[in-house]
Amino acid sequence: MEEPRIGVYVCWCGTNIEKVVDVAEVAKAMEKLPNVVLSKNYKYMCSDPGQDLIIKDIKENNLNRIVVSACSPRIHELTFRKTLEKAGLNPYLLQMANIREHVSWVHDDKKAATDKAKSLVAAAVTRVNHHEELQKRTVDINPATLIIGGGIAGLTAALEIADAGKKVFLLEKTNHLGGVVAGIDQSFPYFDSAQQIIQQFIKRIKQHENVEVLLNTKAENITGYVGNFKMPLPMLGIDAELEFGNIIVATGLKPYDPSAIREYGYGYLPNVITSLEFEKMLMSGKIETKDGKTPEDILIIHCVGSRNKNCHEYCSRTCCMTALKFATQLRSALPKANIYQAYADMRSFGKDCEELYLKASQKDIMFLMYDQQKYLPEIRRAPNREKCEMLVEIEEILSGDMVEVPADLVILMTAMEAHEDVKDVARTVGVSLCGNDFFIERHPKLDPVATTTDGVFIAGTCQAPKDIPDSVAQAKAAAARVLSSIDVGQVEIEVTTAFTNEDLCCGCQTCISVCPYKAIGFNEENRVSVVNEILCKGCGTCSSACPTGAIRTRHFTDKQIMSQIEGMLSMTKRKSKKTELEV
Amino acid sequence: MNNRVNPGFKKELQKFGMSEQWNECFHCGNCTAICPLSENEVLFPRKGIRVIQMGLKDKLASYVEPWMCYYCGECSETCPRDANPGELMMTLRRYLTSVYDWTGMSRKFYTSKWWELSYILFFALLVIVLFLIYLPLRPDAYLMVNESGGVMLNHLVAGISGDQFIRIIEFGDWAMAIIVAFILVSNILNMFYKIILSNKSFKVPFYAYFTEFWRLIYNFVTQSKFSKCDDKNYWVGHMLLMTGYTTMFILVVVALPAFQTEKVVDWYNWQRLLGYYATFGILFFLTVVTIGRIRKKDIKLQYSHSTDWLFIIMLGLTTITGIVLHIFRLAGLPAATYYMYILHLAILVPMIMVEVPFSKWSHLAYRPFAIYFSRLKQVALSKQYSTGLAPAI
Ligand SMILES: Cc1cc2nc3c(=O)[nH]c(=O)nc-3n(C[C@H](O)[C@H](O)[C@H](O)COP(=O)(O)OP(=O)(O)OC[C@H]3O[C@@H](n4cnc5c(N)ncnc54)[C@H](O)[C@@H]3O)c2cc1C
Ligand code: SF4
Ligand code: SF4
Ligand code: SF4
Ligand code: SF4
Ligand code: SF4
Repeated sequence: MEEPRIGVYVCWCGTNIEKVVDVAEVAKAMEKLPNVVLSKNYKYMCSDPGQDLIIKDIKENNLNRIVVSACSPRIHELTFRKTLEKAGLNPYLLQMANIREHVSWVHDDKKAATDKAKSLVAAAVTRVNHHEELQKRTVDINPATLIIGGGIAGLTAALEIADAGKKVFLLEKTNHLGGVVAGIDQSFPYFDSAQQIIQQFIKRIKQHENVEVLLNTKAENITGYVGNFKMPLPMLGIDAELEFGNIIVATGLKPYDPSAIREYGYGYLPNVITSLEFEKMLMSGKIETKDGKTPEDILIIHCVGSRNKNCHEYCSRTCCMTALKFATQLRSALPKANIYQAYADMRSFGKDCEELYLKASQKDIMFLMYDQQKYLPEIRRAPNREKCEMLVEIEEILSGDMVEVPADLVILMTAMEAHEDVKDVARTVGVSLCGNDFFIERHPKLDPVATTTDGVFIAGTCQAPKDIPDSVAQAKAAAARVLSSIDVGQVEIEVTTAFTNEDLCCGCQTCISVCPYKAIGFNEENRVSVVNEILCKGCGTCSSACPTGAIRTRHFTDKQIMSQIEGMLSMTKRKSKKTELEV
Repeated sequence: MNNRVNPGFKKELQKFGMSEQWNECFHCGNCTAICPLSENEVLFPRKGIRVIQMGLKDKLASYVEPWMCYYCGECSETCPRDANPGELMMTLRRYLTSVYDWTGMSRKFYTSKWWELSYILFFALLVIVLFLIYLPLRPDAYLMVNESGGVMLNHLVAGISGDQFIRIIEFGDWAMAIIVAFILVSNILNMFYKIILSNKSFKVPFYAYFTEFWRLIYNFVTQSKFSKCDDKNYWVGHMLLMTGYTTMFILVVVALPAFQTEKVVDWYNWQRLLGYYATFGILFFLTVVTIGRIRKKDIKLQYSHSTDWLFIIMLGLTTITGIVLHIFRLAGLPAATYYMYILHLAILVPMIMVEVPFSKWSHLAYRPFAIYFSRLKQVALSKQYSTGLAPAI
């Protein structure tokens, strides 16, 4: 290998770094390190003149390694890799040192910060000596798509992709399509019929030549990688298999079972029902108690199972609006009834939702505020002498009074929560779940439909509770992402992957058990582990677990890591004998 | 105490004045924060709005706070939702007056114009008929003019002497005062029961009944509470009315023989001066309030209940007939004086019988007692809160 010729660039980031770190001093200190040809500081390295400076230096000084000491590589590593490419260098011959997030933004002692920055940059310099050229790879994309979940999100995405002329497999674990929306009467905030919307979708899906609907089917045993996934269909024969290039997960959420909340008596008080049960009542056109009487006093309780440490801490987001929808529907169906809403903060964001709240609040509905963390309303059967079925005690917090509400019907606005089998789905598609068992998006703001697994997208409420418009929007976005990847036809895959040195491998299979992406297979014939480099994310877990050092991760080799540590310590060596001894 | 919510209650309250405007309230608490009179443990007006929104009738009956409000209107000006809490306090005072009144008359008067009008008409006719039958004008009344040219008012009735006439009128005065006082006192006891005794959320320490009583007297004399309000003009008007009215009351009930004299005394004598002061005070107040209620610029005069107008009209008519009576008397017109005297009483008597025990004037009695009761409540609650619990604004 040719002799390393390293260029070091210390960025000011305007005043972001410069006001805490003495950038000139850092740059100067790097000049002394072996193989460093030049070391400079500049106001904005990521700007065009900053990048041009690097390109010019590479060409004029024959540089073949670059260290940029600036912000986090998450922000600009790609930028500078492209810079290297422009100058004709392999992009992996770059190393970044983060002296903004790790130094200037978190320290204020200029001297100490400058010392720390020196250590970090020195580490990058010693590491970059050992960088190797890595080559990009691409794979072809299978134009078929698997959609898991036949709710409104899944249906929307399926139609979007099928209408573009691409094949869709739509998996639904129940025996019917439509998801939660299939059980809703009218939808907020415009009171249009949810049935009309969803039935139209279902009809089109069933007739669509590009869509294959698989009812009573769960997503299981999916293998493969972006562009080339497979899923066996054992019920259709041993070899039956679906092949597809992308996956959209749209498994939605299910209603929380409120019988766990003692105060509400759900399950043994016959006239305490859930929001979905009330939707059913609305669809049947008859609002009545279990005895067939028209209710005179109706109480709607918000946040059942939501926003409480004992159930779910998150807000289910659509129940406030659904409750206002119910109150409005009740008012027109039963003009004389007394309608009460026990709420804990009214959340009516979204287009025309605050307006619905305003309208509902003018319909003679009594709003009672309670503390959903501390004092839940308590429902009990009313004694015989009372006209109503139940009495509800509520600690009303706007007045500070304990009040009693008569009720013939109580509607619990139950939370929406993950399906029991969501972990299985998550495992089979290789996507992580957050603490609430919602699928995690690649980036909460900048990439809300992709996941960290290439070729797997999420849409609808499986990502977090949301209403129909948001679910549909996300489904369309996911479909667009899938279509664009089909259109490109190929996809670039990770190059910083693991690989095995078969001579060193003892076949213990430790790596297979630790790989979170199921990227390692076992070659029975040679009794060695083999990395599927398309599945491998380069996380490095296997390399650190391997007892023989047979499996290594490109760009994170032992040599690179050790040299980085040495470089880091080299700056403090002279000052502290102790560190030297310990090392 | 029954704490059952009652959505129908707001309709009931509407009859006492305000429409459902208060329902705009979203409980920001600005009104309570700005109110110069709201203080620890007796916080208003926001909490009252909540009680009404939920229709907690019992709680409202024990609610002393509206009486602390002197309707400066600052809360209504500050309210971001135009919920008009000040007017609500006014409406609540009417409502509470009807709650304290065990006879049920107050409620009838506030909720039905016709009831009130019939009642007034009844007393007016009664006065007229009694006079015409039992105290007729003497045939030679035209002679009853004294040397200075004024009418000898007490000698206009046939068959009785001037002294007897004064005694009869005095008797009527006292009878009326006793009836009114009886009703008022029993209502105040009812109020005490509702605000203090039946309220289980606090217990008044026994000593407070005495210590706070002295405070009450001090407050009443200095009106220190009222002077906290920013609008001093309103305070002046109110004081003029109150002192004028009280002066008149003392003159015609307690000091009748000295006031309604045989001779027309010289203008600088104390009776006439006091009478003029009282007349001026009442007229001044009436003019200001009538103009205000018609113009509707001042927030506290924007909403007028029918009883407000009736009160103004009755008081106005009483004053005007009183003045005309005085003029006739000075002008030496015995018959005209006599009939004007009857007319004056025919308006004055029903006004006292309606307003003092059942309507607007009763707050003269309720307010000082409410201050007393609220002090008791404050003492009791601050003792309780010092052990930890703090109230919401
Ligand atoms: C009572 C109620 C009233 C509502 N009212 C309104 C309203 O008026 N307006 C509004 O905008 N929103 C409303 N919503 C919200 C609305 O229902 C959701 O936004 C919508 O259902 C989300 O659709 P989805 O496709 O993401 O999920 P879902 O509707 O939950 O559909 C998910 C589908 O995936 C299937 N599935 C799950 N797991 C698997 C698996 N492992 N394999 C295969 N299939 C699987 C499920 O069986 C289901 O069919 C309401 C919600 C409730 C509970
Ligand atoms: S949307 Fe409303 S009812 Fe539902 S959890 Fe959130 S706050 Fe509670
Ligand atoms: S851990 Fe190392 S030695 Fe063991 S199977 Fe994997 S590569 Fe081979
Ligand atoms: S680097 Fe990570 S993803 Fe790749 S094979 Fe090793 S453990 Fe699996
Ligand atoms: S200021 Fe208005 S909105 Fe706020 S609490 Fe008072 S009445 Fe309600
Ligand atoms: S009108 Fe004045 S005194 Fe009465 S509640 Fe409002 S601010 Fe307080």
